[in-house]
Amino acid sequence: MSRAPTPRSLLRRLGPVPWLAPAVLLILAVVVWPVAEMVRTSLRRIDTTGTDHGPAGLVKYRKLFADPRLPEVLGWTVVWTVAVVGLTMLLSLALAQLFNQNFPGRRIARWALIAPWAASVLMTAIGFRWMLDQVAGVLNRLLLDLGLIDRPQAWLGDAAHAKPWLVFVAVFVSLPFTTYTLLAGLQTVPAEVYEAARVDGASRWQIYRKVTLPLLRPAFLVALVVNLINVFNSFPVIWGMTQGGPNADTATTTVFMYMLRGYDVAESAAMSVVNFAVVIVMVLLFLKVSRWNEEESR
Amino acid sequence: MKRPLLALSAATMAGALALSACSKGSGSGSTSADGVTTIRFVAADYGSNGQNPGQAYWQGVISAFQQQNPAIRVDLQVINWNDLDTQVKTMVQNGNQPDILQTGGYADYAKNGMLYPASDVLSPATAGDFVPALAKAGVQDGTQYGVPFVSSARMFLINNALFRKAGLDPANPPKTWDDVTTAATALKKAGVDVPLGIPLGKEEAQAESFIWMMGNHGGYQDAGGAYTINSPANMATFTQLKSWVDAGLTEQSPAAVNRTDLTKDFASGKVGMLNGFPGQLGDLRTMDVSWAPMPGKDGVSPSTLGVADWVMAFRKGGHKDQIRAFLDFAYQRDNTVKFDKEYNLLPVTRTALDALQTDPDEKALQPFLQILPTATFYPLSDPTWPGVSAQVKTQIGTAVTDPGKALDALQQAAVQAGR
Repeated sequence: MSRAPTPRSLLRRLGPVPWLAPAVLLILAVVVWPVAEMVRTSLRRIDTTGTDHGPAGLVKYRKLFADPRLPEVLGWTVVWTVAVVGLTMLLSLALAQLFNQNFPGRRIARWALIAPWAASVLMTAIGFRWMLDQVAGVLNRLLLDLGLIDRPQAWLGDAAHAKPWLVFVAVFVSLPFTTYTLLAGLQTVPAEVYEAARVDGASRWQIYRKVTLPLLRPAFLVALVVNLINVFNSFPVIWGMTQGGPNADTATTTVFMYMLRGYDVAESAAMSVVNFAVVIVMVLLFLKVSRWNEEESR
Repeated sequence: MKRPLLALSAATMAGALALSACSKGSGSGSTSADGVTTIRFVAADYGSNGQNPGQAYWQGVISAFQQQNPAIRVDLQVINWNDLDTQVKTMVQNGNQPDILQTGGYADYAKNGMLYPASDVLSPATAGDFVPALAKAGVQDGTQYGVPFVSSARMFLINNALFRKAGLDPANPPKTWDDVTTAATALKKAGVDVPLGIPLGKEEAQAESFIWMMGNHGGYQDAGGAYTINSPANMATFTQLKSWVDAGLTEQSPAAVNRTDLTKDFASGKVGMLNGFPGQLGDLRTMDVSWAPMPGKDGVSPSTLGVADWVMAFRKGGHKDQIRAFLDFAYQRDNTVKFDKEYNLLPVTRTALDALQTDPDEKALQPFLQILPTATFYPLSDPTWPGVSAQVKTQIGTAVTDPGKALDALQQAAVQAGR
């Protein structure tokens, strides 16, 4: 196209660099740089005014791992992630199956499912917090009027009561996305496959297990991984309902990191580094699993 | 040739993105060509939910000040309490601190040598006017850095109607912890939802705890400034609180209940007694209540909690003289009295205290004005206190479930703080 040979040969010598550079620079700026800054912060001594008092070595990591609350926070993070993702996937499989059937009012039902997704998660969480409130809460009113409890309960007042409610709300807000992903997967399964299975005399359960589930695998895996990372990093549900309290009894590592930020930025950064490492491990595991998936389907 | 051009512009954009993210804010105020010096002033907003904004009050003070001092311009920024700490922290990290800051604490800034001593930025007349107990709370290592701005104090608040309903005499309020047990038990029998409110949720748990600790001659620190959070006296205090919680005489799970919510419950007649503060006076105007001294273990508590917010002047901008001119103006009696009345806060200067004590409109404030000069403050001059206080807020509530575990953990954290 161009008649000037010099810039053209220069470009050729650069090879793919001009095409890759913007993406690389962007990744450096928005991914690598913040990560480096996070690690650097975790190794400094920073006081409550934000003034940096020089290197701290691994002091903040030692302080973090000596915190008596950390083991419980880690344990709850695992339970939280497994419980929320597990329940979400199970319920979504059923819901997706339902919404894949033709029934009167399906359009409206599908729209209704979007509602928890369309509403801001923080708003949903705050809404539930007040519904569960000891004095003003509508749930206490309902249970009192039904005679199921004899005095109002502080549903979010202690970890044993708060945790199931937190899981419930987190599942509630995760369902729409997961269901729609699985629904999209279901709709890619060709009708002939089902026909063939029925001709071969397979039962409904057999068809679901041997035909639907294997063909749903790609959509299932995507939904699973997105949910795992989302729920692990989930902040608004817990912050909106209990702020991780009382103490750090309902805090996951992400919420705990935010709590630490209030008085020790460096220790909070150390917690972030640990969190980041966990996410990396989760992603590596996913890559391994998805490759195994590819090989098997070959 | 279009594509490389596009790629190049994308590359510059990414670069610009990275650069703008590193760029630091500009320095603090400066003198312009016409000889006008600008000082930056950051203040907290005492108005609630957008009502009664602090911006309006300060604009009034500043425009009056600027008329008298045409060579000084005050650049005002009013920030709500929720964002104030973070925003100021960011300013300091970027070397962009204001000339004057009005916030909740001064100790960590003073320790870093960022502040002017109060004597540099106040005329002797202004400096000598502060209530001595408050001025003393602004002293760190022998020098006053914190200039008190407003104060508040706590007293025991009783719902008279509920007391009478339970067969108790509101004119004879509980004086000892045993009296509290008796009264709370009677209130519970009379069907009161929350006989005794102890809000140990993170909003103000550090205050609530301190008040009860003082009733047993305990506290966060000993006279030498060493942390004593798990002292035997404090253990006994929390064992007492725990026994009230276990007996169902308080709200359920105090660790999750914040002061704001409980004071609302008090205003709607669901709480028998709690530690109140002057900010409630507006809500209680039509209610029949009594304010009493804090009950202690064996008799009325030797002291009550006083809290104060602070003004401090940063060295960075080098505007000592302009800061002094503005602070002397802002601390004039009429200005401070107006602010205190507007937000139901207690004064910090003796002239304002006198003015409010003789003000017929402020009868309700009288009990607080009387105890203010004897109130005890947090260890405000200790630079580790802001961090320790933040940890106390979230953790001390669990001490009513397991006093030993919670107080030991906090003591350990307090000793490590600042390391």
